[in-house]
Formats: sequence, C-alpha cells, structure tokens
Amino acid sequence: MSLVQVATNTVTSAVSSVTLTGIDSDDVYMVAFNNVGLQIQLTKSGTAQSDSEYDYAYKNLRTDTTFSNTSGTNQTAISLGNTGTATSESSQGIIYLYNFNSSSEYSFFTNETCHFNATPFLTGAQGGIVHTVASASDGVNFKMSSGNIDSGTFTLYKVV
Amino acid sequence: MSNLRLINETTASSVSSVSITDVFSSDYDIYKIEVVGQGAGSTNWSRLEFLNTSGSTISTSNYDFAQHEIKTYGSFSENRTTNNSQFLYLWIDNDSAGGFGNTMYVFNPMSSAYTFILGQSAGEFSTSGNVNTKYIGALTETTQAQGFTFVRATGTYNNITVRTYGLRVDS
Repeated sequence: MSLVQVATNTVTSAVSSVTLTGIDSDDVYMVAFNNVGLQIQLTKSGTAQSDSEYDYAYKNLRTDTTFSNTSGTNQTAISLGNTGTATSESSQGIIYLYNFNSSSEYSFFTNETCHFNATPFLTGAQGGIVHTVASASDGVNFKMSSGNIDSGTFTLYKVV
Repeated sequence: MSNLRLINETTASSVSSVSITDVFSSDYDIYKIEVVGQGAGSTNWSRLEFLNTSGSTISTSNYDFAQHEIKTYGSFSENRTTNNSQFLYLWIDNDSAGGFGNTMYVFNPMSSAYTFILGQSAGEFSTSGNVNTKYIGALTETTQAQGFTFVRATGTYNNITVRTYGLRVDS
C-alpha cells in the first residue's frame, strides 16, 4: 500500500472547523487525525454538508465498563469521540473514505478511533458511516459539537 | 514518493519476543506497524510494550487497553485492562498450521503527550477456530518511546516479521 498526501491542516490556534478537500478520483482515501476530539461531515464542492443524511453504527470500546453498540440514522454530523482541552485529553483516528468521487453512489466511511477523556478513561469506536446522497463528494470537514478546535493535525491521503 | 515510509523491517525466528529499536523519531507523529508470523508451542496471546530512548522497556503500570474479540466459535467477547505493564491480547496464534496477521497504528510515541495505539488482528486459537481482534490502547505517561517489543505470553514464534512505517506529513 502507498499513501499520497492530498491535503493537511495543522491547527495551532482556535478555529471553528477544518476542511480537507481534493478527492477527485475513484481511489480509496484515508484521513489520519491526531490530538483532537470532534465531529465529521463530508463536503461537496468544498462545502460541508449538514443535511440529515448521515447514518452510522459503532462498537464502542472502553476501559471503564462493558462495551456498547451505538447507531443512528438521519444525523446532521457524526461524532468521532468526546474530548475537550483538559490535561491529557486527546483523540486519534484513522478513517477510510469510499465512493466519494462517485456521482451515483453513496459515500462511505470506516472509522477506528481512540480517545482519552476527562473522566479519565480510554474509549474508542470501530464502525462505519454512510451519507445517503448519491452525488460526488470532494472532502471532509471536522468541527466540534460546540466550541473551537484548539489544536490537532488532520491529513488526507490517497491510497494507491 | 509515498507518504507511507518504510522505516524498519525485522524478521526473526525461534524467539519469544522481538524488539524494534530506534524507529520512532520526531520525523513522524503516526506510525503503522504490520506484523505477520506463526507461533510455536501452545496457543498464546501476543503483547506489546514500549522501549524508552535508552532502549529499556517502559514497564510502569500505565498501559490501558480495550479489545473486542470477534471469533468463529462462541460469543464475541471483550478484554479490558488498566494500569497494566503491557498491552495484552493483541493477537492469538497457535502452532502447526496456525499463524496471524496484525495491523496497528501508534500515535505520538515521541511527543510530550500520551502514546496511543489502535489496531486489528486475525489469528487462530488451537482447534477452536479463527479469532480476530479490534483494539485500542493508551500508555498514560509522557515518557518518550523510541521503540517497542512484541512478546509472546509463553512459548516462541516460529517466525515473525515486523514492518514499521511512518505516516509522513508534508507541510
């Protein structure tokens, strides 16, 4: 497997969101993020999509209690984990993107994430997301459920 | 040039553990580690521990780990450990026709933040069947890790190959 960087954004001061674009082929793409907790949406022509078209299902791994299942339909954005800015709070993840460039198929994500929260305990999600609109997407948008992204690195790669 | 850069490839045979030293640096924040091999002796789990900048094992009780076990027999199950001295239950393998594959990512081993892992594996448990895992882990201390060791709980690996890649970010 080879990875070709398409876009990256390193946040060092507060921003409301981060957008990575540049998906322009039928290849699989991968996003790596580090040191942030946030929500994800896809973009079409560079604009984040906030329609109620996101479905997801996760297995939630955690060290404090029994694992759980989480799912939802018709969401406006999908949480990748809940962390803030307290000491040692952190989120990391690898997300693969499928069919984003297709104008006739839904866009799919698979996600593996881990987070250390303020409680504190380790948690993470393994699962997938679909955006049920059959039109081309060109990237992803990251934001917090409330507040700003204070720091973190987001990188979009093409898998070749 | 690929942004996935091969840093190290190590192959060993008839060993109970394999250490990969001096592979983490300030050049990368995220690493991908691929492991393939086959164990010898009884069926056993493999574990992970990090090595500090002197090459010594970070053996403090600061390894937290959660693993989902997805298998062809019985019910799926989970393993959770906190304040351990290793990440337990990465993958399972047995001897003879058995074997395993494992892919994991390591985040921030050389930074002043905690070090995290996430990954998945496929292996074989004795005559029972196929066991796959999805897992996450955190080393909840800020000691810099420059390498790591895979350890078979007991017994040895007939053979094991470890490939370590860095995910390059070009600013």
